[in-house]
Amino acid sequence: MEVIRLEHVEKIYSDNGVPVHALRGIDLRITQGEFTVIAGPSGSGKTTLLNIMGALDKASKGKVFLEKEEIGEKSRDEISAFRLEKLGFVFQAYNLIPVLTAMENIEFTMMLLGIEEKQRRDRAREVMRELDIEELADKRPNEMSGGQQQRVAVARAIVNNPSIILADEPTANLDSETGANLLDLMEKMNRDHKLTFIFSSHDRQVIDRARRLVILKDGLIERDGNGNAAQ
Amino acid sequence: MLLTIAWRNIWRNRRRSVIVLVSIVVGIAAVMFNDGLSIGMIRQMLENSIGSHVSHIQIHAQGFNDNRVIQNVVPKPAEVESALRNTAGVQHWSPRVLSFGLLSSALNSSGGVIVGVDPEREKDVTTIRRSIVEGNYLTGAAHEVVIGNRLADKLNVGIGDKVVGMASALSGDVGSDLFRVAGIFETVSSEFDKAYMFTSIDNARSMLELEDRILEYAVIVRDINRVEAVAAELRQKLGDDYEVLTYIDLLPILVSQVDMYKSMMYVVYLIIAIAMIFGIVNTMLMSVFERIQEIGVLMAIGMSVRRIFAMVLIEAGTLGIIGTATGLALGTGLLLLFSSIGIDFSIFSEGLTSFGVGAVIYPRLTLDTVLNVLIIIPLTTVLGAVYPAVRAMRLQPVTAIRYV
Amino acid sequence: MGLLVKLAWRNLWRNRRRTMITISAVVFATFLSLIMRGIQLGTYDQNISWALNLFSGYIQLQHPEFKANPSLHRSFHFTPGMREALRNDDRIRGFAPRVYGDGLISFGQNSLGTALFGIDPDEERSVTRMHEKVNAGRMIVSSKASEIVVGRTLLKNLKAQIGDTAVVLSQGYDGALGNMKYRIVGSVRTGMQDFDRAAVFMGFEDLQELVSMQGRVSVVAIALHDLHDIEDVTENLNAGMDTSEVRALSWEEIMPDMKQGIELDNYSGMLMLAILIVIVAFGILNTVLMSVTERFREFGILLSIGMPQRQLVMLVFVETLYMLLIGILVGNVLALGVNLYLEANPITLTGEIAAMTEEYGWLPVMPSVVLPSSMLNTSFAILSISLIAALYPLYRVLTLEPLKGIRYT
Repeated sequence: MEVIRLEHVEKIYSDNGVPVHALRGIDLRITQGEFTVIAGPSGSGKTTLLNIMGALDKASKGKVFLEKEEIGEKSRDEISAFRLEKLGFVFQAYNLIPVLTAMENIEFTMMLLGIEEKQRRDRAREVMRELDIEELADKRPNEMSGGQQQRVAVARAIVNNPSIILADEPTANLDSETGANLLDLMEKMNRDHKLTFIFSSHDRQVIDRARRLVILKDGLIERDGNGNAAQ
Repeated sequence: MLLTIAWRNIWRNRRRSVIVLVSIVVGIAAVMFNDGLSIGMIRQMLENSIGSHVSHIQIHAQGFNDNRVIQNVVPKPAEVESALRNTAGVQHWSPRVLSFGLLSSALNSSGGVIVGVDPEREKDVTTIRRSIVEGNYLTGAAHEVVIGNRLADKLNVGIGDKVVGMASALSGDVGSDLFRVAGIFETVSSEFDKAYMFTSIDNARSMLELEDRILEYAVIVRDINRVEAVAAELRQKLGDDYEVLTYIDLLPILVSQVDMYKSMMYVVYLIIAIAMIFGIVNTMLMSVFERIQEIGVLMAIGMSVRRIFAMVLIEAGTLGIIGTATGLALGTGLLLLFSSIGIDFSIFSEGLTSFGVGAVIYPRLTLDTVLNVLIIIPLTTVLGAVYPAVRAMRLQPVTAIRYV
Repeated sequence: MGLLVKLAWRNLWRNRRRTMITISAVVFATFLSLIMRGIQLGTYDQNISWALNLFSGYIQLQHPEFKANPSLHRSFHFTPGMREALRNDDRIRGFAPRVYGDGLISFGQNSLGTALFGIDPDEERSVTRMHEKVNAGRMIVSSKASEIVVGRTLLKNLKAQIGDTAVVLSQGYDGALGNMKYRIVGSVRTGMQDFDRAAVFMGFEDLQELVSMQGRVSVVAIALHDLHDIEDVTENLNAGMDTSEVRALSWEEIMPDMKQGIELDNYSGMLMLAILIVIVAFGILNTVLMSVTERFREFGILLSIGMPQRQLVMLVFVETLYMLLIGILVGNVLALGVNLYLEANPITLTGEIAAMTEEYGWLPVMPSVVLPSSMLNTSFAILSISLIAALYPLYRVLTLEPLKGIRYT
């Protein structure tokens, strides 16, 4: 089943008045359950592409469909709701809410969906158990290591059962062992729950695990095909 | 959970929040104190006028208040007295005769109000007896008079000295009598102390040829909040031959001054609120701009802009509520403390006694003040957060996340 | 130093929005304080001169004990020498000798206590405006014509008409009672209850005759051209007279209640402004503190490259000063405009409030006044309170350690 489709997507930034052509016409289709890595050198447009897929950014030209609905026609509120229900994000800098504990961070998106507290707690515990981070429940982000924070961020991303997880350089700030553990976890999520994972990364470790590998260069898809981990 | 976030965010920059809070607290406490002091002053003026001579309700022949002539006597005193006795809300009452006349001593003379009272009844109605500073209150004996200290000074008389009272009598002739000063009173109103002289009602009646007639009944009610109801009951019992006036009718200026003051106070609240808004806008803006990245993440994980907006407002509102609660507690404490001990403004005593306030002002805590603070200040802080919240709302998630 | 000033100026605009909000707060505080002060002082001045011009005069010559005990015996001879002295002082606009007494006025069946004022209508005209307050009939025309003008409420209470003849009874200088008939030729409406309810104006010589004190006067009311000369002229007059016989008193001594009433109002107004300024100062404290904390790292670097700590403190001080000076300047300019406008076009009260103000004997008009001294004082108050508030962040900069500053994030 198709979850994301991009048609002739272009993105032009203005960098201090100088137009920068970040994406020059991307056509891409992602189906449910993929474990896709978008790779490419710095400045190739990986993050921009990921942001557009996550409806964090708007395409300058072309169309973006999320679950077959064109997002260019949606209001900010509809996009927020969509992100809330369908998308999960994992950022390079973890980006947990500093004033909330791990538990509360995970609960937060459920709260936004209006889920009642008891249910929230149970679900958050369940996810934490699955990711083996139960002992972090009452810790605030500044009391956790980078790997721990990133695990909490993954927990936050998957807790609402989204169909797609977008991860922008999730391992960039982690040592290789921690990074590997995180990727194991993500693979497990992908296997067990048929979650779609889309990474943007130039980390070898991540690219090696790709089942589908999309390589960008200068805002265009240079290669799209099976990754090293494809069966 | 938004509340939890708001609460914790406030304490992320403890120092900054404390400074904003202190400014709110100081503002509230100062405004409340100022408010309490002014209300205390006006109420004292009103209560002193009521206490020294006006009383809660006055009953006269119809038209007497506009035309205070001696011929305008109460038609049937017995009827009034029976109505007063049979009205439950009435606590004390006192019959009076009064006339605006001339008082003379051997050295000087002064215009003034000569009031004939039943000494026993009057002492429950007005504060004259308690205000005696020299000599004694009326015993009911003939030719006794108690006068205000300022009048005594002007006439240059002391206890035991003679004064001559002259006023127009019922027949139109000038009635006069010789009195001896039995007592001198001093109230907090210099205007009153300058002009009033009390003698026994029988004495005044014979001087004014009034025989057993009465010009005025002064009434004290049991519950001042029910004064209008008691007056209405009396009005209904007495009919159109009488006028039944409450202190509100008798002291229109003082009463409307309370209203005027209230509207003036809103201006003060407005000014203070605007001053606070600047602080709130700046603080909340700083707090939003410090957290641009965080807000971007909140948006990325699906928090709607409306909720972002609400979050900033809640933060400011929480600050406002904490500040209001503390300020209210401090202001209330100060007012309660000073409402019992009073504040001595002796340096302004001439001015204050000429207004009938007295040199010591007892600030009052009124429900109005508390309600004003309770509504206006939290609202102000929330209002001050609107612009920062709009700025937060307008952030684009991508740029916000990238922002460093 | 020049570089420091330049650096401070540029730093100010690094966070343009915050700087603008802080400056707006200072502008607001300055503007509002100056407007409020302007209106307050303008209204006082207006009401004082209105009240003084109504009847009391700016200065009065009185027997030294008259104020404490205003009896006929505390009167004095208004000598040609005194007259000459008053005439020779060109700050004096006019003067009018008067006799004050108390009496009983009777008409028909009604008798009422009154305050008697014996005046010379011609001399009075140069001092007070009582002649303008005649609301029916006319003013008395000479100091000896057996005519009186009474307060309008008194006329009503007497049930008399203009043209009627009333009897005035009074105790004389010798203690004996005397009475005379006078024709009521007019009534006055002053707005002051004391006058409207109880005043009887009669010829100066008529009253002297009634109370048998020929040749003596109770007071001489003096009017000046300028309110602000009162103190000097009073001192000057007292220096030239035997003050055991007669003394010059300024209006503040004649009407201490009015003076204190104004002072009380003035202090409460200033208190209000102080609260306002303090609240704004807290805002300034916060802004400066924030701008300092977010630059701790930068400051740490500056310190470690050898910038003296004092200079750093100076830098922040200059930044704060810039904001305050800009705010105060703009506030002053705005307030000056509004105050000048209000000076020419005073706020006029209407309705119930106007009626009440008039009941109290004030004019229902609130003009403003532009006083350079008041502008300076207010600006200085705002500047100093705000600088005091900025002391804390300055202290933080002073005690900042270079390494900590760099590590601070």
